[in-house]
Amino acid sequence: MTPQTTRTALVVGSGDPADSVGVGLVAAGWSLLRLGDDLIDDDTVAAAFPTLEHLDLVVHARYPPLCRQRMDLTNLTAEQWHAACDEPLEAGIRLARAAYEPLRAAGGTIVYLVPLMASAGGDGFAPFAGAAEGLRVLAKSLARTWGTDDIRVHAITLDPSAFLAPTDAAGMAEANSLHDPPLGRVPDLSDEVSLVVDALTTNAFAALTGASLVVDGGLWMPG
Amino acid sequence: MTEHAGMSGLLEGTVAIVTGAGQGIGEGIAAALAAAGAGVVIAARRPDNGEPAAEAIRARGGQALFCRCDVTRRADVDAAVSAALEQWGRLDLVVHNAVSPPGPPRPIQEIDDETIAMQIATSTTAVFHCAQAAFDELRANGGALILLTSPSGIEGSGHLPLYGAVKGAQRGLLKSLAREWGPHGVRVNAIAPVAWTPALDTATAANPTLESRLLGRTPLGRIGDPSTDIGPVAVFLASELSRHMTGQTLAVDGGRYLGL
Repeated sequence: MTPQTTRTALVVGSGDPADSVGVGLVAAGWSLLRLGDDLIDDDTVAAAFPTLEHLDLVVHARYPPLCRQRMDLTNLTAEQWHAACDEPLEAGIRLARAAYEPLRAAGGTIVYLVPLMASAGGDGFAPFAGAAEGLRVLAKSLARTWGTDDIRVHAITLDPSAFLAPTDAAGMAEANSLHDPPLGRVPDLSDEVSLVVDALTTNAFAALTGASLVVDGGLWMPG
Repeated sequence: MTEHAGMSGLLEGTVAIVTGAGQGIGEGIAAALAAAGAGVVIAARRPDNGEPAAEAIRARGGQALFCRCDVTRRADVDAAVSAALEQWGRLDLVVHNAVSPPGPPRPIQEIDDETIAMQIATSTTAVFHCAQAAFDELRANGGALILLTSPSGIEGSGHLPLYGAVKGAQRGLLKSLAREWGPHGVRVNAIAPVAWTPALDTATAANPTLESRLLGRTPLGRIGDPSTDIGPVAVFLASELSRHMTGQTLAVDGGRYLGL
């Protein structure tokens, strides 16, 4: 593990949950680099961080606005489909590819933040669910591939409210559970979710990789 | 058609499109659907295997026609739907099986943009094409959509990380579509198979220990046959027998994957 004083995190994605998790990581002492919803490719990363030699943490939460809009699949145009599913999936894959060398240099960690709809499905959010579930499974594949490079990879499933407008998020939660969150609240992104992300980079979790954690107050209990 | 004994008549009067049906699992599923009584559109990119696959079904007394179809092209998928309607006047089932060959094992940092784009196009864009093109007919007939995913889309793959990602994406799509289309009476399910296919033939030829390792991890002790092991499960998911199932993934792999 890299000493705390040198920890550098790249957080990718515009708005929440990227913004709030980034705030929490700064509060926990991380040096933060940010990318928004810009096109992700090798050149993007190289241009954004020309002097970057290592990364201790990459947090992916890049889901452009069209992902987060409720849309019936039968009414989507080809352009909307691409923007809401194929492009975000491709960008998340490219981010992993671009981050490999700086993560390997640091023995770093990459965490994909995904909405509940990824593993549970979401009426009106098929493109978002497809892209996000692809990235959740990608995390497992990367963990298998990169373990010997001392890179650990995880996915964290969050409550839909971390990504969606309140009315849509409430509908998703209602569709997925007969119960209220056992902890009585949806976790705060900057105060609680960021702590989980931070913890995953520490020696306490050195033997953990490829994990799919659900950090939603206990609403979704798969398996 | 004794190899599909017990399924005869289950799908009588129904019509299916199977993408990637010129070989491997798609061909096996098409054969099983036809043996159960369905008229089948063999939607395949290559006439040199699509035509023989359709002819083989007809030679056994089934109903099938070949339609050239590149699933990354919406117009081709529309043409497959039109072919079903022109030949049989209805469409009850779409099985999306076609996939771009994943190629040799490679870590994600060594995969080029073109390969990423092609895998996504055949796995997620193609689901969009199939779903949109077929929805009206599926809704009218209380039909079904079946996606061929993979155990790699559930547990990830160290050898084929890109393949695992796009197959995982299909599971996110199927669950969402199951929710979206359930009120319309359209069911959406998936099969995660392990079976002998040209792709597996190639992989085992390149890696001589692969077959024994795979068998060692398979409780039933053999690798599946596309027609007699995978096909009947597709028939089940297409039939009234599974009328209360949607959003599910059935691992049909001899018990290799037990994580569901």
